[in-house]
Amino acid sequence: MKRGGTRLATPLALLAAALALGALATPAAAQKRGGTLTIVRPTDPVSLDPHYETTAPGAWVYSNILESLIAIDEKLALHPKLATSWDVISPTRVRFKLRPGVRFHDGTPFDAAAVKFTLDRALKGTPPGRWASLAGPLAGAEVVDDLTVDVVTSEPFGPILRSLALVYAGIVSPTAVVKAGPDFSRAPVGTGPFKFVEWKTNTHVILERFADYWGDKAPLDRVVFRVLPEEGARMIALQTGDADMVLFPSPIQLAALRRDPKFAVHEATGLRVVFVGMHAKQPPLDDVRVRSALLHAVDLKAILANILEGAALPARGVLAPGVFGFKDMRLDQLYPFDRGRAKALLAQAGWNPGPDGVMQKGGQRLTLTWLAARGRYPKDGEITEAVQAMLRDVGVEAKVEWREWASAFTQFRGDPLSFHLFTLGWVTSSTDADSSLYPLFHSRQLPPGGRNTSRYANARVDTLVEQARRSLNQGERERLYGEAQDLLAKEMVWIPIYNTMEIVATRASVKGFGVHPVEYFLPLGKVWLDR
Amino acid sequence: MAGSLTFALRRLLLAVPVLLGVVFIVMLTLELVPGDAVAMMLGEHATKEAVDRLREHLGLDKPLLVRYAQYVGQLARGDLGRSIIQNRPVVDELADTWPATLELTVAALLIAALVGVPAGVVSAVRPNSSFDALARLGSLFGLSMPVFWTGLVLIVLFSLWLPWLPVGGRGSLAHLVLPAVALALPSIAMLARLTRSSVLEVLHEDYVRTARAKGLQELAVVVKHGLRNALLPIVTLVGIQAGQLMGGAVLTETVFAWPGLGRLMVKAIFARDYVLLQGAVLVFALAFVLVNLLVDLSYGLLDPRISRQG
Repeated sequence: MKRGGTRLATPLALLAAALALGALATPAAAQKRGGTLTIVRPTDPVSLDPHYETTAPGAWVYSNILESLIAIDEKLALHPKLATSWDVISPTRVRFKLRPGVRFHDGTPFDAAAVKFTLDRALKGTPPGRWASLAGPLAGAEVVDDLTVDVVTSEPFGPILRSLALVYAGIVSPTAVVKAGPDFSRAPVGTGPFKFVEWKTNTHVILERFADYWGDKAPLDRVVFRVLPEEGARMIALQTGDADMVLFPSPIQLAALRRDPKFAVHEATGLRVVFVGMHAKQPPLDDVRVRSALLHAVDLKAILANILEGAALPARGVLAPGVFGFKDMRLDQLYPFDRGRAKALLAQAGWNPGPDGVMQKGGQRLTLTWLAARGRYPKDGEITEAVQAMLRDVGVEAKVEWREWASAFTQFRGDPLSFHLFTLGWVTSSTDADSSLYPLFHSRQLPPGGRNTSRYANARVDTLVEQARRSLNQGERERLYGEAQDLLAKEMVWIPIYNTMEIVATRASVKGFGVHPVEYFLPLGKVWLDR
Repeated sequence: MAGSLTFALRRLLLAVPVLLGVVFIVMLTLELVPGDAVAMMLGEHATKEAVDRLREHLGLDKPLLVRYAQYVGQLARGDLGRSIIQNRPVVDELADTWPATLELTVAALLIAALVGVPAGVVSAVRPNSSFDALARLGSLFGLSMPVFWTGLVLIVLFSLWLPWLPVGGRGSLAHLVLPAVALALPSIAMLARLTRSSVLEVLHEDYVRTARAKGLQELAVVVKHGLRNALLPIVTLVGIQAGQLMGGAVLTETVFAWPGLGRLMVKAIFARDYVLLQGAVLVFALAFVLVNLLVDLSYGLLDPRISRQG
């Protein structure tokens, strides 16, 4: 194609004009500084130090105090943060150039030694940090010079950059850690846009703007995280103005909030897939036809519409869209809701309707046992009951054993697992397919050591996920994960139900906020109040 | 008085084996309940090696009796240990939550006594009057409505529709009003009912007729001769209520975001953090022992016939 300069000139000029106009009209121009943002959420943090806390209630707070070398944005793309650039210099070594002139909240300078200190503390401490085993084979850091640091792994590790972008990998002030000892956990010091002020257990955590922040300083003066365990009370607090932002808003009130100009509902596609797992080594589920029949028997549309009421998305595979390596499994086309096909598949496998409608084979009834907890994931109990009823419609009898989460959790991770089915969720919090496909579907990752609860085994899938884990060529990795998901889709060991949505409700005066797909991030550095 | 003192000391000494038993039962229960503190803490993505290593570091791989002995040894040195999940001294956690629980319990008890007892007395003096009927209805309501419902209704009424009081949290007196009232409602009902029947019974006694016959004013008859003699069962109930309000405030604490011991215990149970749970349970057990002691001591004051000898 011939590129005519003149033909391009007009669109370019238009574009430039539009950009200029856009710059004038950006929120930055109207942005107001100051004010206190009050956030209500159901639980208090365990700790404000990733060394001790890997769950969201702590991470929401410390992700505003600590920063990692690499940031991951709302589209799950990687950006320089405390590192300005990086080079893969060997399969086990990445060299980072660090941002100059950055200071911790305690005034000490950020440098290569701080990166080494943070990683050594997490990986080699006694005991290591609670996030250490989530980061893969990270081995530590080596100082090259003041502003250059090498991060090394014990074996080639494809997802290394995403591991360093984890919310837990925030760089801490070595001086503050040494000074505070265990109390650092309740008064963290990092380089982020907010610094820690006060934590009153089960009441509030207060942060304030860090005036010497290296980047764009936060518009807000203060952030108050309050605890309100009761969902109804949280929603009332939003209405009365006691709160500006509600985490875990009541799903049933979202429609009303969306209609009301006083409020805004922010959402993003989350990274957790909630599913009914199948034990592939437990007859009759060792027969892929029986497993496929179960997938055909489940009416996902009805579950999404009637149980989740628009607060989640239909699962599109074993991974969430947005995760690096995700490939749409097109489950709606592969396994459409079709009771006729379900029954036909069961018939092929030798199961035929008995006198009470339950399928039989050689006098044996098609009865499946099911381990489930209630309240761990949104609507998990209701979903279990709905799927149970749907299976009954194709002649499969499922007997659910309900357990409290902590005890169910122990069983899921145990060996042997004496259940056919289990209701579970899995979040790809590293945003890389590796942290799902490798532990969940590699044949050597069996419980209790691994997380392959379904006891799935396919030599080709093993090879693919291993290769992808060890490769640092991201294009190649994406292709390998695609092939692995194609294979998984043909021999499904899950009935994927829904993909979470991260939903946050605010008063309309809260501007500049975007929900992060990674449920541990709550980015407040750009938020401002229009009042 | 000296008799009371030795009695109190003896009772406190007797509390030691009680508390040791409580500690053992808590530990045994958490041991028997499936679920693992370390696995819960590290989350679903953690590797087994990481879980095993941390369990060993925390000494949780040791047998129950060894851990019990270690814990009791620690306790004898006045050390409640560090919370497993938070790595924070349990004493600090208790210091954060205990005052809130005490404040709420005392406030609820005061409301219950100040409303429940007079309502019961009036009902007893005018049995089957319209006030009595109203009080009976109110008591039925107070007893049958769960606090997570009355609590939310109170919030809707007094925070949302009439914006007088804050939605939740602790701080000023205004924060205390709604949770204290919600927590007090069932106790008001129970106290009103018990006071009514107790006073009604006493009012039929001979000495009350005598008091009336010697021309005492009705108010003096009811209060001095009626209520005073009806007080024993009421004080007993107040004591029981004090214990229940402390332990049973979990729902109230949840609805009103009150940072008390109840929520601390629930958190500890779900996380299988036995060190933290032990600390909280010990405080409760100790409070129970003390309240019971106070109730027993008050018997002697209320009824001189009950002696503290032997």
